[in-house]
Amino acid sequence: MSDHERWSEDVAAYMLGALEPEEAAALEHHAEGCERCRAEIRWLTPALDALPESVEREQPPAELRARLLAEVRADVGAGAAAGASRGAAKPGLAERASAWVRELGSGPMGLRPVAGVAVAVLVVAAVAGFAIGGGIGSDSSDKTSTLLYGEPPGVTAKMVSEGDSGTLHLANVKPLPSDRVLEAWVQRDGEVEAVEALFVPDREGRASTELPDMEGVEAVMVTTEPEGGSESPTSAPIVTIPIQ
Amino acid sequence: MTVKREKAERLADEELMPLIGEKDPEAFEVFYDRHGGVAYSLAYRIVGERAAAEDVTQEAFISIWRSGARFDRARGSVRSWMLSIVRNRAIDALRSRAGKAPKLAFDDDAILEQRPAEELTEEEAMRHETASEIRGALGELPGEQSKVIELAYFGGFSQSEISRMLGVPLGTVKGRMRLGLEKIRGRLAEGLA
Repeated sequence: MSDHERWSEDVAAYMLGALEPEEAAALEHHAEGCERCRAEIRWLTPALDALPESVEREQPPAELRARLLAEVRADVGAGAAAGASRGAAKPGLAERASAWVRELGSGPMGLRPVAGVAVAVLVVAAVAGFAIGGGIGSDSSDKTSTLLYGEPPGVTAKMVSEGDSGTLHLANVKPLPSDRVLEAWVQRDGEVEAVEALFVPDREGRASTELPDMEGVEAVMVTTEPEGGSESPTSAPIVTIPIQ
Repeated sequence: MTVKREKAERLADEELMPLIGEKDPEAFEVFYDRHGGVAYSLAYRIVGERAAAEDVTQEAFISIWRSGARFDRARGSVRSWMLSIVRNRAIDALRSRAGKAPKLAFDDDAILEQRPAEELTEEEAMRHETASEIRGALGELPGEQSKVIELAYFGGFSQSEISRMLGVPLGTVKGRMRLGLEKIRGRLAEGLA
């Protein structure tokens, strides 16, 4: 059996995704120098392309389209906001946001400064073998920590921190109108700053966003905002997570 | 910069992709409206649950939105590229769900037949017709050939796994896969006549 014939036996399996990764890589390496194998792959490609086209057509739900387009518009908005904020005076934004926090603090939502305030934390656990002792995120030596906050059926949050960055995962978020997005904010030195991260919940009410700079953050908040996001919060937070 | 939806609708997929790479939401919307149906259908075919199919489709399209510029037209059509992304994500989802067997049959025309004809655009109708013809071609394959193709493409099983599942030599699985694909290719070359 020639070298080509030996590899040729696996061409169909390769195209169907039925080779192990190392086998597929070896075949690709061989095909780079084997015109006959490349010709076989070219010849069989329309047959492979026909397989997904053969499936019974199902109507995707309209909510799927709405969620997708909301996420895309949120991305565009976040990009525009990032561009705008790079040229904007940061203190102005922080001042406006902090004014909003103070305003809400005296309002019916009762948002108060969170540092030093006793809060309902369900679980505080360290990942990767580290133990957190005492209060919220009190172990500053570990590399990764997870903080769970909130109680179903309300919005619950999981804050995964690693170094100075973190990821916020929300659950039980109510569906948003197509023209609204979630926007994250952090409180640092008593001032509220935009995270420049817009996101939307999925069908099951889950939503996640990255928090790239967690240094000195006292609390993380999430609000609903018009698509494209806001320079300062325009609604009461759906969740406020005390960090320190 | 974004293009108007009307203009985007006139563009070929290959022309939409650079716009999507530049984060044009109108181009993405047209792209989804063009291919979202088949993507969701493929995902549902593989994972067998509507909720999971939604998640797979959403993840696939968002990955395209965020990496649209990576499409390489030398590697085939945009639609095939997109469907390969959906297929890979659906197989990943399938593998992550222990104990859930994939649907494994080219059958039931009922759902398509139940849809009112006026819901279908001319292009969709042509694609449905083509899909039906392709299903017919697949249905004409000997059972042992269609089974290994289904297990591999829609089930995500490797040829070694299929060999063990069916209790046949690995060489037999390879041969059935090749014969099956070649027959489908032959039918396509004949114009599915």
